[in-house]
Amino acid sequence: MFYRLSGVHHTRYQSARQLWPIPADRRIVWGLLALALLGPLILSDLYLSSYALPWLVWTAAALSLTLLMGVAGQLHFGFAAVMAIGAYTSIHIVRAGWPFEIALIGAGLTTAVIGCVFGAAALRVKGLYLVMATLAMQYLVDWVIINVPAISGGAQATLQTPDVRFLFVPLESDISLYYGALLWTVIVTVFVLNIKRTSFGRALVAVRDKDYAASIIGVNSFKYKLLAFFTSSFLGGVSGAILAFCYYQAVTPEQFGFNVSIQLVAMVLVGGLGSVVGAYLGAGFVLLAPIFLTNFVAFLSNQGLLDVSTNLLSHIPLMAYGALIIGFLLFEPLGLAKIYDNIRNYFLVWPFRHSRS
Amino acid sequence: MDATEQSTAAATTLACEQVTRRFGGLEALKSVDVSIRQGEIYGLVGPNGSGKTTLVNAVTGFYPPQEGRIVFENRTINHLRPYQVAANGIARTFQNVALFKGMSVLDNILLGRHTFMRPSALASLFYWWWAQKEEVRHRTQVEEIIDLLQLESVRDESVDVLPLGMQKRVELARALAAEPRFLILDEPMAGMNQEEKEYMVRFILDAQEALNLTILLIEHHMDVVTAICDRVAVLNNGEKIAEGTAREAIKDPAVVAAYIGKSNDAA
Repeated sequence: MFYRLSGVHHTRYQSARQLWPIPADRRIVWGLLALALLGPLILSDLYLSSYALPWLVWTAAALSLTLLMGVAGQLHFGFAAVMAIGAYTSIHIVRAGWPFEIALIGAGLTTAVIGCVFGAAALRVKGLYLVMATLAMQYLVDWVIINVPAISGGAQATLQTPDVRFLFVPLESDISLYYGALLWTVIVTVFVLNIKRTSFGRALVAVRDKDYAASIIGVNSFKYKLLAFFTSSFLGGVSGAILAFCYYQAVTPEQFGFNVSIQLVAMVLVGGLGSVVGAYLGAGFVLLAPIFLTNFVAFLSNQGLLDVSTNLLSHIPLMAYGALIIGFLLFEPLGLAKIYDNIRNYFLVWPFRHSRS
Repeated sequence: MDATEQSTAAATTLACEQVTRRFGGLEALKSVDVSIRQGEIYGLVGPNGSGKTTLVNAVTGFYPPQEGRIVFENRTINHLRPYQVAANGIARTFQNVALFKGMSVLDNILLGRHTFMRPSALASLFYWWWAQKEEVRHRTQVEEIIDLLQLESVRDESVDVLPLGMQKRVELARALAAEPRFLILDEPMAGMNQEEKEYMVRFILDAQEALNLTILLIEHHMDVVTAICDRVAVLNNGEKIAEGTAREAIKDPAVVAAYIGKSNDAA
């Protein structure tokens, strides 16, 4: 088969530690990247801007959250609030006349600082108690945004994003918006992958797994918990800004409500905690599965195969969606990434049945 | 006996002076005095619950002593936090292996080099221009330790699939990767068979010689203690009841009483 371990010998530490040490993995990644770059040629405008683009942006957000929840082990149930801070900050910076690039960095930094303040709760509590603390962040941030007119522009208000240029390219056409989102998602992906193979990521994992063992080898667990919140909030804030500018092109507080936080957690869990592939698969599943299910059920009823009331018809996709999530988690609690991993392992040892470990 | 005479002249590496640690009403350590000399293997023995591990936890900053002083290389380290103690050159292993499950052997040992690395998110982002050089440099040093402890064959395995004896060896490797001057081994041979024990003793002696270590060894296997420890202290109920060469300490009436119990016939 094309997918082989034998014959792959690394003679330098650099190549043994590269992102994808197996050539077949590298080919797949390059192939997918080429597909993503050719997206505007392959997909129709509708699919490009209402399926592919949100998938990319939500993947970036899910990657930011999986860095915190999966790699560093700090639960966060208020990540939509983190994205909201980023979105609102970037809009206000752009409105004040600064360039978009500065606005993105400013949004990231503001979010990181505020995220750190709430993340400081993680220094004292873990598990469910940390969930409560981050939920408090969600509601506090929501409340502040809604009730401070300087931020939201008044209750029930919608802030339109101004036209901006990113690196001299005006972000106006669907194609430029798509490439903007793609660029950010690629950056976040490479970033998270690199974190996982360097001392920074190892320290985060050490604090997650056994904080006493981490401290005895010199890891300051307070520092790394805060750094995890800082880094993840930075990425989440910028993702929020990208989401506002590239997809919604307007922001309202409802876009970043509690249900969005839960959706993000679902993406991370369904995909597989701490996994980069999982963030892609999880975001894709949570975003696209309801759409496909709705279309599928509508198709069935149009064909006369499904004869039920319209009321029930609108609920069937939701029920199927819930059942799918439960089904996947029962079938493989480690998420879609683990399913992908099993398939990959199968091909790695094919035609034999068992992998080495 | 040569070794003992040499180390008598050597400087004190770690001194515990009148160390007391209480947990509520329980005095786990009662004014314990221990002084460990540069280059020796110092054994710490005693029945279960006698305060051996508490003493180690006091030294490494997990349970700072309420009274007394701990001096490491002429510096008081009482009030340092565990990660600061580690940065000062003290490493330890744990009684029940504390490896990071799910990480490979290599990553576990690389974590041992944490105090020498400069982890940062930015360095990770610009991996190819920034973090890679550091990773490779430390990888070379980790490979030397892998070589010393003969872990080549399991380098890329996940630690949770390894047998216990191997896991303990990986933990020793992780501690050695931190280039400690003082190494604390908390029951490195617990749960091992004779062959694994012999391997472990060999590795400890090799490491001590190669890296010029001072070692504090907590161990229940008396054959090991008598074979490799230069001096031994016996703890019972948080008090030091005997100190000296292993053979002297074992014959001490107080030690016999602590382990076997006192009876009028024996006395």
